[in-house]
Amino acid sequence: MLKIEHLTKHYRGSSKGVTNLSLHIAPGDIYAFIGHNGAGKTTTLKCVAGIQDFDAGTVQICGYDIRKNPLGCKRQFAYIPDNPDLYEYLTGIQYLNFIADIFGVNAREREERIKKYGDGFEITASLGDLISTYSHGMKQKLALLSALVHQPKLLILDEPFVGLDPKAAVILKTIMHSICAEGGAIFFSTHVLDVAEKLCNKVAIIKDGTLVTSGDMEEVVKQGQSLESIFMEVAGHADTD
Amino acid sequence: MLTQIRILTKLELCNLYGLNVLRFSKDKKSKQKNMGLMALWIILLVILICYVGGLSYGLIYLGLEDAVPAYLITVSGLLIFFFGMLKAGNIIFQREGYDILCALPLRTGAIAVSRLLKMYVEDLLMALAVLLPGIGVYIWNIRPGTGFYLTVLLGTWIIPLIPMAASILMGTLITGISSRMRHKSLLSAGLSILAVLGILYGSSRLWAVEGDINPEMLKDLSASIMALLEKVYPPAVWLGMAMIRGDIPGALVCVSLSLAVFGAVAATVAFSFQKISQSLQGNFAKHDYRMGKLKADSLLRSLCKRELRRYFSSSIYVTNTIIGPVMGCVLSAALLFSGTDFMEGLLPLPIDMDSIVPFLISGVFCMMTTTATSISMEGKNWWILKSLPLTTKNILDGKILMNLLLLLPFYLLSELFLIVALKPGAGELLWLLLIPAVIILFSCVYGIAVNLRFPVLVWESEVRIVKQSASAMLGGMGGFILAILCAVAVGAVPGEYAAYLKAGICAVIMATTAVLYRSNNRFDICGKVLSHR
Repeated sequence: MLKIEHLTKHYRGSSKGVTNLSLHIAPGDIYAFIGHNGAGKTTTLKCVAGIQDFDAGTVQICGYDIRKNPLGCKRQFAYIPDNPDLYEYLTGIQYLNFIADIFGVNAREREERIKKYGDGFEITASLGDLISTYSHGMKQKLALLSALVHQPKLLILDEPFVGLDPKAAVILKTIMHSICAEGGAIFFSTHVLDVAEKLCNKVAIIKDGTLVTSGDMEEVVKQGQSLESIFMEVAGHADTD
Repeated sequence: MLTQIRILTKLELCNLYGLNVLRFSKDKKSKQKNMGLMALWIILLVILICYVGGLSYGLIYLGLEDAVPAYLITVSGLLIFFFGMLKAGNIIFQREGYDILCALPLRTGAIAVSRLLKMYVEDLLMALAVLLPGIGVYIWNIRPGTGFYLTVLLGTWIIPLIPMAASILMGTLITGISSRMRHKSLLSAGLSILAVLGILYGSSRLWAVEGDINPEMLKDLSASIMALLEKVYPPAVWLGMAMIRGDIPGALVCVSLSLAVFGAVAATVAFSFQKISQSLQGNFAKHDYRMGKLKADSLLRSLCKRELRRYFSSSIYVTNTIIGPVMGCVLSAALLFSGTDFMEGLLPLPIDMDSIVPFLISGVFCMMTTTATSISMEGKNWWILKSLPLTTKNILDGKILMNLLLLLPFYLLSELFLIVALKPGAGELLWLLLIPAVIILFSCVYGIAVNLRFPVLVWESEVRIVKQSASAMLGGMGGFILAILCAVAVGAVPGEYAAYLKAGICAVIMATTAVLYRSNNRFDICGKVLSHR
């Protein structure tokens, strides 16, 4: 589903970035990507989503190369950043219609999906209001709704649980499972290690732009340990938030 | 309160003209780009200095040296008033950062005053850019006494105060009225345009009554110029005369008057600041949406609809870009009702009006295109388009189509007026329709080309993009400058060759537009230039 090979991205005049990162995400995977602030999680996700150019390496999504065939790639996934700055001058429904138009979702299907997920996230009544009137959590829900309206095979999410109320978080977890059950995959960054441990079947830990460990959750989190203790061990106390 | 004002003003001013970013940015490319922008500002400043210096020298050469200071003060005052009126509401009641400041233990008056002081510094710099070269030429030629220098020192720093006060009052009034409405931005833009048209109408009436000036006064050109300046902006003449005479008490009266007017306006703004700011922040959420039938649109239509909604959501964007087309229609209507003779009388050289009208109209239409800032206006939302399966061509076509759709009704109305006014033959009708269409299309595509190369995606206020960015300066005026150059060329050739020249110009502009369009569409929007952290 997603193949990242030797991804390297450095910012001019800064030591931050990502160096030689490789990850493989298969259909059905819920893959957690964890690391301290500034470790390179968001940079990696942006490079994968084709929002940011990178210096070296390859990113392939469903067999398409993000550099050679960005459109082919982008039709397969949905990306939501950590702080979803949406078009505040549109109403929620106008934004969803815009996204659905870009992905060519027909009227009947978009109605069904918006109703289903909108009711689930309890946001339907607010869809007629301008996004500028939404709270952070509502914007997060709308961003998730816009990601789900075109049924992507891969969801790339940067801190998806931040700002969500407990009910919405539960619904999102259920949706993640159902996408994976249908052969899709989720790649998301998080600081909530408990959620990552319970929800994900795979995990990758990044430190200072370099992948420290990755693989099946059971392999990474050994018997009698927690993801938190593993993270503290590999990432080091000094770097924790 | 004073400490709060000092701290807040320091904050407001620290990134004036992007200086803080230039100072601390570690990105060499971004630094180079900012340096390039700075160089562009310096070139424009040099041009302004040469222009104002030349103008002052001309007045002195004609023996009108007494009019120089008053003339310079009037020009800077009018510039400050016009530009200030369009941006005042956005700067003073800027929403970005308002919540953070309100949560701090600060007086709302201090926030308002710090924003006024930021405007003052910007306007003072503008006034100095106009005043200093002219005064320099005056000193070089006239060698005035000590009193002149003292009054200039006393009077210069108050030059922006009265025009600023007037523009702030107007801007606050417009923002205050529109803040109570649901469609704030649209109403604010409409009121601003109405105010500009009202001022233009008023000033045209002012020039018209010049004929009432006493014939005795016309013999003395200096007196008639002073009389006219006094009608336009009396304090400029009072301060200008105080400077010429080295009249320190007179200058002090002007200082007191300016401070009193500005103080009164600042107090009014500080008083109403919180109320207006909160109204602007207020939301009109109804939470009553019910799912109904949805409609699917084509890609281009959907992108264009989004561009239109973006456009009409920003009052400063609308105000700055719609003035040109509105003025184009007003100019065409003036031709219809006043006849070409009147317009020919306004031109400095005897030129066949029918021949250059299409260029003049195009020039006015293209004074500021929306495309020139359309990419920068995406700002923090740019990630959305970049993450969607869209080609560069898809995105840019949406922006160009929006600009063309916006201009279409104005173009049609203006053409209708011109056809009725000029009653052109078949050949002239073709040029009348074709030339504006070709230049408008060029300016839209050119605007995109410039904005792709000078994008600013991280900004705090739309004013920074619409009024102060390199792409607004270079891109927005492209079509205007081209149209004026073409008008000069066509006006300069004998009438029998004008049609050939027009055909050649149209062909060259169309070819250039096609090349630019292709080049724009090949631009890698996810590449280095438009990537940002």
